[in-house]
Amino acid sequence: MRYGDNQPFEHLKLPITWGVMILVAAICVVAALLFLGDRRGGLDAAAYGNRAGFDRAAAKSNNLLSSPAHFVSDRTNGIEDYFFAVSENRVLKQKIVELERYRDDYRKAKELNRRYEVLLNLRTEPEVESVSARSVSVSRGPFNNNRLIDAGSSRGLAFGNPVINEHGLVGRVVGVSPDVSRVLMVTDVVSRVPVMVARTDARAMMVGDGGGFPRLEFVRGGPDVLKKGDQILTSGDGGIFPRGLPVGEARRGVDGVWRVDLYTNRGPVDLVKVMKFKDFSQLPHAEEVLRTPLVTDVLPPPPPTAAGTAQSTSASNATVSASGTAVSSAATSANSASVARPRPTPVSSPAAQTPRPQSVPAPEAPASASSASVSGG
Amino acid sequence: MLAPQRRPRSSSTRSMTPSASRRARLYKALFENRTPRRGSGGIVGPQDWLLYPALIAVLATLVLATDLPLPFGWDLPEPVWPVALAFAWPLIRPSFIAPILLGLMGLFLDYFWGAPLGFYVIGLMAVHAATLIIRSYIVGQDTWVVIGAYTLAVLLFFALGVIMTTLDSGVVPRLISVFEQMLATWCLVVVVLILLERFLNSDVRFN
Repeated sequence: MRYGDNQPFEHLKLPITWGVMILVAAICVVAALLFLGDRRGGLDAAAYGNRAGFDRAAAKSNNLLSSPAHFVSDRTNGIEDYFFAVSENRVLKQKIVELERYRDDYRKAKELNRRYEVLLNLRTEPEVESVSARSVSVSRGPFNNNRLIDAGSSRGLAFGNPVINEHGLVGRVVGVSPDVSRVLMVTDVVSRVPVMVARTDARAMMVGDGGGFPRLEFVRGGPDVLKKGDQILTSGDGGIFPRGLPVGEARRGVDGVWRVDLYTNRGPVDLVKVMKFKDFSQLPHAEEVLRTPLVTDVLPPPPPTAAGTAQSTSASNATVSASGTAVSSAATSANSASVARPRPTPVSSPAAQTPRPQSVPAPEAPASASSASVSGG
Repeated sequence: MLAPQRRPRSSSTRSMTPSASRRARLYKALFENRTPRRGSGGIVGPQDWLLYPALIAVLATLVLATDLPLPFGWDLPEPVWPVALAFAWPLIRPSFIAPILLGLMGLFLDYFWGAPLGFYVIGLMAVHAATLIIRSYIVGQDTWVVIGAYTLAVLLFFALGVIMTTLDSGVVPRLISVFEQMLATWCLVVVVLILLERFLNSDVRFN
């Protein structure tokens, strides 16, 4: 017997291609498990924890790259301003003349609005503090749209804070580290923003799809609630974003789907402002804030002599509590003018210092009608 | 004073392409039973064709992610650099280090671009595995065949990306945006050709 005859597997070697394929398959299995365990549907602050350190390092490197570019850009803009100062001055003077008229109208409307708020005992939203930051890194691909900004928890930012710039809504903070925050753009595929049409007060959901023109889905109302060029604002529904932030204008895409031409597409998203707005889930006493007092808790029982009138009055009061619109309030006042009753007292809780959700008005009383009645009154 | 006369080159040397010249040099080294050398005299180690291109890809990703305001509302392109490496590396030589480096680069992209973990790793591994399977059909073919195969690899990567994004978020990403990034990534075919030209026949151990 020759040497080696009792070793039948001596020359059997695994080809390198097979070995590499096995390694690739193993890495694929690990990656698939990671992918299944890291779904972005439920974005929360805890899920961001292991990315904070990486973002801090990445933001520093990108800051090193972007700082010289911004320096050169600022100087270039300075030179351009110098050479075009005269023509720009003419344009600005014209704009000042136009805007002075709007300023006077604004002051009148603001004063009138303040009186109505006092008259109707409305609780308005308090001013929201904000922090300015600079965008240092951006991911603008179709699968991910987010940014790193150079402000973090050391400046008071928190998960969920809305981010805007001089044009409109940019996105919201989805991850915070001491120096850096990650902003989920409204164009990201996992972004959902409750919006409303300024003209008709129709509600919709703005769904990002990785492009510059997010889709409008679940548009409530008839076929005429949306027209090309309608201004889209945040509705405040759900409490994630404050009500009334400008988002964009409605456009119909080539595929027939209503989309939003974002105001932020009008210029680079360079400097942003982060609003320290807390959504309701972050409030310390969320259940207390969201609890609406019963009508019977704030109103005295109806007088026994006018049973029918009392029934209609309580129905109208329920409408007031549910909608809170000026039109409903006016109708209630008219119906119950003959019934003497005390004014409803505001709820004495931390809710008075926090923003409240804006409830959806009744379909028969759109905001345009209510605003018309207010300005006419 | 007369200028020194150059020795006339033979017709065969004059018509030789750089690639053929390099191959001839390598065969000569093999014939002389010595270590094959490149022009500078070094051998092709894993750092030459794996580590340095990977670092360059990461650096290029970082640079192109810088938020620079460009005129006319333009943005810097955002190609997926590791796709070019995932295609080129198995063509150069099957390697155990390559998929590990690709996995690390995929994780880097997941973290840096805010994708769910494993998203880019799966895409890169799919490209790597597919190229490894068809390697014997691609190597040695004409440049247009390599370009066509790279186009298919890019299509595979982005098709997987669309499917995984749809599974993850329930929304089909906008196909125009997908096409834009696909085009930017396809333009890296130049990088693929440079890598193949530089490393495919540079070491007899690769053949």
